Amino acid sequence: MTEPQVRELFNQIADGEAGPSRVDTQLALRRGRARLRRRRVCLAGAPVVAAATVAIVALAVAASPVRPAGQAAAAGGGPAAPRQFNPLVASVTFGWLPAGESLLSGGITRTESYMDAGPIGPDWSLDVYARGQCHLTGSASGLNCPQSKLQFSQRAPDVAGHRAFWTGAGIAWQYARGGWAWLSIPVPNFSALRHDKDMQRKALKIARHVRYDATTPLMFPAQLSGLTSQWRIDNTYYEADPGLLRADQYMLTTGSSRFHPHVGDLGVWTDAPYIQVHPAPRDGTCTPHDPASENTSEIINGYRVVLKRMPIGGLPHQELCGAHADGLWFDIEEFGAHPSIDAASLFRQHLRLLGTNPANWTKNPIG
Amino acid sequence: MSLSRDAEYCEYVAARMSSLRRLAAVLCDDWQRADDLVQATLIKLYVRWSRVRAADHPDAYARTVLVREFIQERRSLWVKRVSLVGRVSDSPAAAVDHDVVLDLRAAVAALPARQRATLVLRFYCDLNVDQCAEVLGCSPGTVKSQTARALGAVRRALGPGHDAGPGEPARRAGGDTTPTRSDRP
Repeated sequence: MTEPQVRELFNQIADGEAGPSRVDTQLALRRGRARLRRRRVCLAGAPVVAAATVAIVALAVAASPVRPAGQAAAAGGGPAAPRQFNPLVASVTFGWLPAGESLLSGGITRTESYMDAGPIGPDWSLDVYARGQCHLTGSASGLNCPQSKLQFSQRAPDVAGHRAFWTGAGIAWQYARGGWAWLSIPVPNFSALRHDKDMQRKALKIARHVRYDATTPLMFPAQLSGLTSQWRIDNTYYEADPGLLRADQYMLTTGSSRFHPHVGDLGVWTDAPYIQVHPAPRDGTCTPHDPASENTSEIINGYRVVLKRMPIGGLPHQELCGAHADGLWFDIEEFGAHPSIDAASLFRQHLRLLGTNPANWTKNPIG
Repeated sequence: MSLSRDAEYCEYVAARMSSLRRLAAVLCDDWQRADDLVQATLIKLYVRWSRVRAADHPDAYARTVLVREFIQERRSLWVKRVSLVGRVSDSPAAAVDHDVVLDLRAAVAALPARQRATLVLRFYCDLNVDQCAEVLGCSPGTVKSQTARALGAVRRALGPGHDAGPGEPARRAGGDTTPTRSDRP
């Protein structure tokens, strides 16, 4: 006799006084977009190649940054966009933002540098692609970039002498030869943007002031050591702390790292530890009471850590978390049955936490 | 991001917002928490939009994401939460005028998240056992056992004196006389 009562209860709740919705679709869209970009690091698709080769390329790229777009000639000429970005250095930055807005976070993959700005959550999002990553469609009515297909709504005023296009709620421009950038504008669509001259002006000013030759190193609150030269840092995600860019999440990859596109939302890498380290929030926790996983709590290097194991998408998954480690919260995740270095060993033998004082952090995450 | 992707997503969300909120409210028994749940679900739907769009039944996909988010949110804090910054409304809770309803509501609220989700899928969304199993990612047998446990727990909590439904005579268990709702995700 309980079932009809339960049915009626549920219907009463559903039909009850809802009150005004606090759900914000645009916020969901912006956060989803930011998460997609953050997670897209795994979708770059380029196989991980030998570390030494890539390291040489990355250093070469860092040593010869592209000149600012404002100094470049017409779209077809001028200096070329970088073929790769260095994930340890933020070479692309906002040069101007509207009052009350500031850089919040960003990320760097080999092929893309992205960042979000806003007062609290992301309002403006900038994606800058390396050379050859984006291609005009056959009719030049749009732009195909990795994971993005931009449709041009209308020609926009040039950006620092380069062709530009409104793309719905955004503007795309060729910032250097072979390289495109795209700025997401906090309006719902092109109809709204077309009538909002102030927003157009702000977007153009942001676009025109983007710098492509910065050399701001990311600062890491932890350092790895004792690793073979095969290992390298990839796909960094940083947060803008006062006065510095703090590397918050990154991957450690090696030649045997492999991408599994059908696991999780956007795929995962095996044999590639995902590392997060940041100052511990006051209520930070590792929440060991998950009935679906095997949790063990132990002390490693003097820190209380929780090791959690559970399969995800058919892949073994291990996660080592420390909620209060000299003021830091850290988490190491790995997928796959036989990682080259398991999470516990990586933490025990190779990872050194550098505390909460940024003066002790490093720009060389592999020492 | 592609314009068409964003436009499609916004159009879909606008059309389904009401039903998603109601389902979330039934799961959470709280409209404020329901909005948080929907907000988190919308972010996931955006990230997985290509899959939503390609799904045979996008509404069923969205419902699955929402229900799993509900269970996951309560199971683990390893997942980063989404918190809305908007002002919490002062709207009153749903009108309740009967002790039985209060007791029933408390009994259902005390159920573990997975059991509550099972009841919601069976008795609010009117899914059969197999459909329910698909949403929850478990076997039909587990759905049956979860349903039985949940209903048993509610019966025990209500005690022998609460057999009749609110405002209506008691029906026999298994009677399926409640009309279905056509606007559910």
